[in-house]
Amino acid sequence: MAEQKTIRFKIRRQDGPDKPSRWEEFDIPYREKLNVISCLMEIQKNPITAAGAKTTPVVWECNCLEEVCGACAMQINGQGKQACSALIDKLTQPIVLEPLTKFPLVRDLMVDRQIMFDHLKTVHAWIPIDGTYNLGSGPRMPEVTRQWAYELSKCMTCGCCMEACPQVNARSKFMGPSAINQVRLFNAHPTGAMNKHERLAPLLDEGGIADCGNSQNCVRACPKDIPLTTSLADLNRETNKFALDRWLRK
Amino acid sequence: MSTTQKPYHFLIRRAHSLLGLVPIGLFLTFHMFLNLTAHGGAEFYDKVIGTMQSVPGIFIIELVVIFIPIAIHAIYGTWVVYTGQSNVLRYKYARNWFYIIQRISGLYTVVFIIIHVYLMRFVEANFSALSAFLSQPLGLILYALGILFAIFHFVNGLWAFAITWGLTIGPHSQKIWMYAMVLVFIFLSAIGLANIAAFL
Ligand code: SF4
Ligand code: SF4
Ligand code: FES
Repeated sequence: MAEQKTIRFKIRRQDGPDKPSRWEEFDIPYREKLNVISCLMEIQKNPITAAGAKTTPVVWECNCLEEVCGACAMQINGQGKQACSALIDKLTQPIVLEPLTKFPLVRDLMVDRQIMFDHLKTVHAWIPIDGTYNLGSGPRMPEVTRQWAYELSKCMTCGCCMEACPQVNARSKFMGPSAINQVRLFNAHPTGAMNKHERLAPLLDEGGIADCGNSQNCVRACPKDIPLTTSLADLNRETNKFALDRWLRK
Repeated sequence: MSTTQKPYHFLIRRAHSLLGLVPIGLFLTFHMFLNLTAHGGAEFYDKVIGTMQSVPGIFIIELVVIFIPIAIHAIYGTWVVYTGQSNVLRYKYARNWFYIIQRISGLYTVVFIIIHVYLMRFVEANFSALSAFLSQPLGLILYALGILFAIFHFVNGLWAFAITWGLTIGPHSQKIWMYAMVLVFIFLSAIGLANIAAFL
C-alpha cells in the first residue's frame, strides 16, 4: 500500500498573553480540498505533535466558515489570511500558522480585534435613522453608486489589512484602512450623507487618514478585494475639502 | 474611549506633504539645472556661484525658502519614520519596497545635506574644492547616492503627493502618474549624475 500522504503544520503556540511562545509541528492525514480550519479541527480531535508528544488542542477562532465573518484571520505562511478559505492544496508546506501581530494575543492563534470595532465607533460607521416620530422613507440611492458602494460594504473587520499595514503598529495610533473605508461607504449613502461631517472630522485627528503611508499593502491583503486605496485617495480629497471649508468658516 | 482632539495633526501632515514639493522639490530641480553650469568649466562655474552668492539678501532667502522648510520636513519626517514598521520581508510588493526606500532615502538625504551644506558654506565653495572632494572614492559615493536618493525621495513623494491631495484616486490614474514619475526620475537623475561628472 502506498504511504499515507500527510500535511505538515508548524504552529506558533502561546498559552496566554504573558506566556512564552513556542513552535509545535503537526502532521495531518491528507485529504483533497481541505482548508486550514478543517486541519485545525483534526488537531483538536487528536492533539499529538509530529514527534508523537501529547499536547493541548490549538486555540483559534472561526464562525461562518465562508469568509464573511472575519473571525478566523491569522498569519498563514507569514501573511494575514482567512483560515476558512485558505485551501491546503494551494499552500506551500510546512504550513506556518501564527497569530496576527497587530492585535493583543488571547491564546495560540486567537487575538482580540476589539480595537477595530472601537475605530468603527470613532468614525461613526453607521447611519442614525431613529427619530421620535416616523421619519418616512429616505432618499433613493443611485444605482451607479450602489454598485461600487456594495464592494465597500463587504468588509468583515477581519484585520488582514491592519496586519499588512506598516503604519499600524504599537508606535502609531493609525486606525488603518478598514474604518476609513467605512466612512466612504456610509458617506456614499444618501441618508448617511446627512451626517457626513461626523465621519470626516475624526479622520483629521491623530490616527486618522493622514497617517497612511501609501504602501498600498492593504488593498493587496484584503480577502474581500475591497478597493481600499481608492477609498483612501477619495477620502483624502474629501477630508482636504472638509478641513479647508471648516477652517474658512471659523 | 479617549478621542483626544489633536486639531493640528492633519494640518502638520498636509504641510509636510506640501513642503516636499513647494519649495523643497522645486529647489532641488532648480539646483540640478543650475549645476549644469559646471560643464562650462571651473572659471564659469565659480563665476555663477559668485553671482548667486552676491544676490542681495541671499542668506534670508536661503533661510526662508530652503533651510527652514527642509528642517521642518526633515524633523517631522523623522517622526514619521519612527511611527512606521516595515514588513517588506513578509509583504514583498513593489510599493511596499518603495515605502521603506522612501524612508531610508529621506534619512540619508538629511545626513547628506548636512555634510553638503557644511562643505559648501563653511569650508570652501568653488569648483576645485568640490573637484578634490569628489576625487576621493568615498566622497564620490556620498554625493552620487545623495543625489540619487534625494531625487528618488522627491519623485516618489510626488507620486504620493497626488494621492494625499486627492488628485489620483483610482488605481489606473495612480499607475499613469507613476509612469510619469519614472520618467521624471530618469530625467533628473541623468542631470544629477552629469553634474557630478562635470567635476571629475
Ligand atoms: S496604503 Fe496606507 S492604509 Fe494601506 S497598507 Fe499602506 S499605509 Fe496602510
Ligand atoms: S478591509 Fe478587507 S482586510 Fe480589512 S478588515 Fe475589511 S475585509 Fe478585512
Ligand atoms: S470563519 Fe468566518 S471568515 Fe473564516
